[in-house]
Amino acid sequence: MTAPVYSVEDLVIDLYTPSVSVRAVDGASFQVRPGETLAIVGESGSGKTVMTLGPLGLLPEGVAVDLKGLARADGRDLLRLSPGDLSALRGGFFGVIFQDPMSALNPMLKIGPQLARQAQLYAGLSAEAARREAVSLLARSGIPDPEDRYDRYPHELSGGMLQRAMIALALAARPRVLIADEPTTALDATVQAQILALIRQIQQEDGIAVVLITHDIGAVSVLADRVIVLYAGQIAEEGTAIDVLTAPAHPYTRGLLASVPDFRSEIASGTREIPGIPPNQAQLMPGCRFAERCDRVQPACHSHRPRLQTITRGEVPHRVACPVIIAAEGIATHD
Amino acid sequence: MTESHAIEAKSLKVHFQTSAGLVRAVDGVDLAIPKGAFHGIVGESGCGKTTLARAIVGLQSATEGQVTILGRDRADWARADRKGFARSVQFIFQDPLGSMSRRQTVGQTLEEPLLIHGLGNAAARKARLAELLDLVALPATVLDRLPRSLSGGQRQRVSIARALALNPQVLICDEPLSALDVSVRAQIVNLFARLQAQLGLTIVIVAHDLAIVREVCSSVTVMYLGRVAEQGGTRPLFADPAHPYSQALLSAVPSPDPRIEAVRPRILLEGDPPSPRNPPPGCRFSSRCPLVEAQCRVLEPDLRRVQHGGLAACHLAHAQSHAVI
Amino acid sequence: MMKNWPWLILTPAILFVLIGLFAPVLMTHDAAKQDYTAILQGPSLEHYLGTDYLGRDMFSRIIGGARTSLVAMSVVLVAALVIGVVIGSFAGYVGGRTELVLISIIDIALALPSLVIALALIGVFSGPAWVWMSDYWKMIIALTLAWWANYARMSRAVVVAELQQPYIEAARVMGASHLWIFTRHILPHVLGLVVVYASADAGALVLAIATLSFLGLGVAPPVPEWGQMLVDGMSYIEEFPSLVIIPGLALTAVVVSFNLLGEAFALQKVPRAVRGGFLARKKAARVAEEAARAATEARA
Repeated sequence: MTAPVYSVEDLVIDLYTPSVSVRAVDGASFQVRPGETLAIVGESGSGKTVMTLGPLGLLPEGVAVDLKGLARADGRDLLRLSPGDLSALRGGFFGVIFQDPMSALNPMLKIGPQLARQAQLYAGLSAEAARREAVSLLARSGIPDPEDRYDRYPHELSGGMLQRAMIALALAARPRVLIADEPTTALDATVQAQILALIRQIQQEDGIAVVLITHDIGAVSVLADRVIVLYAGQIAEEGTAIDVLTAPAHPYTRGLLASVPDFRSEIASGTREIPGIPPNQAQLMPGCRFAERCDRVQPACHSHRPRLQTITRGEVPHRVACPVIIAAEGIATHD
Repeated sequence: MTESHAIEAKSLKVHFQTSAGLVRAVDGVDLAIPKGAFHGIVGESGCGKTTLARAIVGLQSATEGQVTILGRDRADWARADRKGFARSVQFIFQDPLGSMSRRQTVGQTLEEPLLIHGLGNAAARKARLAELLDLVALPATVLDRLPRSLSGGQRQRVSIARALALNPQVLICDEPLSALDVSVRAQIVNLFARLQAQLGLTIVIVAHDLAIVREVCSSVTVMYLGRVAEQGGTRPLFADPAHPYSQALLSAVPSPDPRIEAVRPRILLEGDPPSPRNPPPGCRFSSRCPLVEAQCRVLEPDLRRVQHGGLAACHLAHAQSHAVI
Repeated sequence: MMKNWPWLILTPAILFVLIGLFAPVLMTHDAAKQDYTAILQGPSLEHYLGTDYLGRDMFSRIIGGARTSLVAMSVVLVAALVIGVVIGSFAGYVGGRTELVLISIIDIALALPSLVIALALIGVFSGPAWVWMSDYWKMIIALTLAWWANYARMSRAVVVAELQQPYIEAARVMGASHLWIFTRHILPHVLGLVVVYASADAGALVLAIATLSFLGLGVAPPVPEWGQMLVDGMSYIEEFPSLVIIPGLALTAVVVSFNLLGEAFALQKVPRAVRGGFLARKKAARVAEEAARAATEARA
């Protein structure tokens, strides 16, 4: 197995806003390898974005942050890099796609020159080569008539085209890791399918690592090799997409999947629901964070924090943080 | 115009003038929703589904055509019995927080429709409030809270309770789930399904989540660029969509099972939907349709009966067969 | 530090209101009563602030002046508020051509300084057709007509903004009438904002009343009024500066105090927000401090 390009170990992220302090990420570890797509799944507030982008210094504004643990990329410890070095790494090593394309594109500049500048800065191309690169990136991102679009301003493009332009921008620096933060949430179904197909194609052609941050199980199913399910800042379950999505073990994952019906299945599954709402992360209890909403809850769940245990060893182990399920269903563990 | 229809629209058009030109948000829609149906309206942004829903309750005035609700012309309702209309038809907004006054507590919010209609004395209203909370499974403790302090799911429950306060027969919901988290969405969907069964409501739900529509809706309308592309019973239509757009739309929704996803043939449409400011001539889908023929670019297709028993607006679809992408 | 300042600077304004309200009780003498046996006296136990050139008690005149200003100001403020809110809300709610016409009128009124409008109107009122009206009421009406436009513009802005809120549509769907929507949902927002701003305008009004009286166009003698006391004192400014200083100080303190109140409102909208913002900032500071301490401990 190749070495991870981006890895995080025992990451703890505390956020401080004027009124509350929140443990957004609580002891999470993950790594992603070249050519692999890792999906980080969770609901809003689960800490999925903070966990992935936090070590890169991309955090919500106006919030004081405390990061602990280890985050490595390009052989360097991200948490100890100077802001300047981190910014350089962010520009070149990582490419980020956001939900809102306008957060990445400068509305005052034409699309093409923005891409060319990025290619010049980080991929070390000459001005002429950078221009050619920008046009070919637009073409690769599925933008018709790229020569013409090169000289367009962002507001002249439709939503789907903007999303593509932002992907082209993220690729301009020839990143090793592409982080896509809810890349399709704001898009219509048919455009979503186009964008997912595009990300998949880029990943296969360039062999880069992709981290997909999403709450959309469908997008995970299309793109991901591996999945991490995050609940209230802690990893509930991780494994291959097939393991996690077809044989989920954690009660939260099971509930989440049951609440997303598959309309292709012949029998109506009857949408199941998870009762209650995600916990307030400002006042967390010591035990399992899902205990309040869990249908399999035991008294011990409220006091003991569950550990991630390996339930299937394969090339990619399937791990789950729920001793109750493991005991109740007689699942063998491997650690 | 039969009494059995809760909602009937005839060649309904809603156009508005903007600085960039005339937007034909709804451009000739025929629709008939029987009483007791749970009807879904789906389509992508700009297809006019929200405008259609708003036009039905009169939040948007129709440019042309007619809407009949519970056997009475909407214009007639508005002229003669505005309050009666409010007691018959209610609307649920996409953003529950925005649809409530930020100064009013949940109790005041729920009481407002009763006060407007002068229903009951203080004690009767209090009892009704308790009933409503019970209906949407909220604890009585929320009555004194402000909407802002509630969770997204609770807010939508409050807005549903408020809509039910007047005992309407028809409930029209504009994307009531899109502001909610995935796990909470299922709670609200189940609530709608339960309310429909319990109260015998006719529910029209505008949605973009096709899986949920398939789960709860008995019938569905697929819209594209201000017109109805296809209409029919949810199960048969989803199983065998006759309109190429419906086929593409359904195909675009990924399966949550990666094993299915790995082998499933997918239809990828080219480009984005055109702007409702200048829809293409002929069939509106002709500019993106992989099966387009010469006649599609000139002649706008009418809705006609297709194999699954519903209606589709496609030259290539008729009762015997239809084109498949 | 910030905990104290709003109250400290508000003291003159609060005192002004209290003194104005309880003036009859507080006055030791009849403010208009002349006493030629005791003119231009210094402070004494009989006359706390001395007497003026007609032997009137300065202490009672200052207190009486506060009442005069308070009453005139309140009348103008309430009248201007009512007119402004009604016209502004109507313009915002109705929209269309009516709104356009009303906005033009409001804009013209706003383009000229209020005092200039007031002076012009008093000029008009000085015509023979208006002799039946006292100078006092001419001033009140002129100031009201000079002041309403501000509140009208503000009211319209609030109404237009609120009308776009989805909850207004929700109320409409529930069958609410326009009157219901306006009185239940929109008016509270309008008043909430306009009243706050009007209270901050009080200082400017007190000054305007004093200015008009100083020019001999407002409150007529012998009613005690600060602007007039300034005029009266001017002739004796060299020998008895206290005759000018005392009303001058009273006026300055009240005007500055109200202006600072306005500043605080402009910055924080409402006093509760001033307090909330302060507490939130204090808490944030504490949280950040704890975070820093935790971080140092972790490193050690």
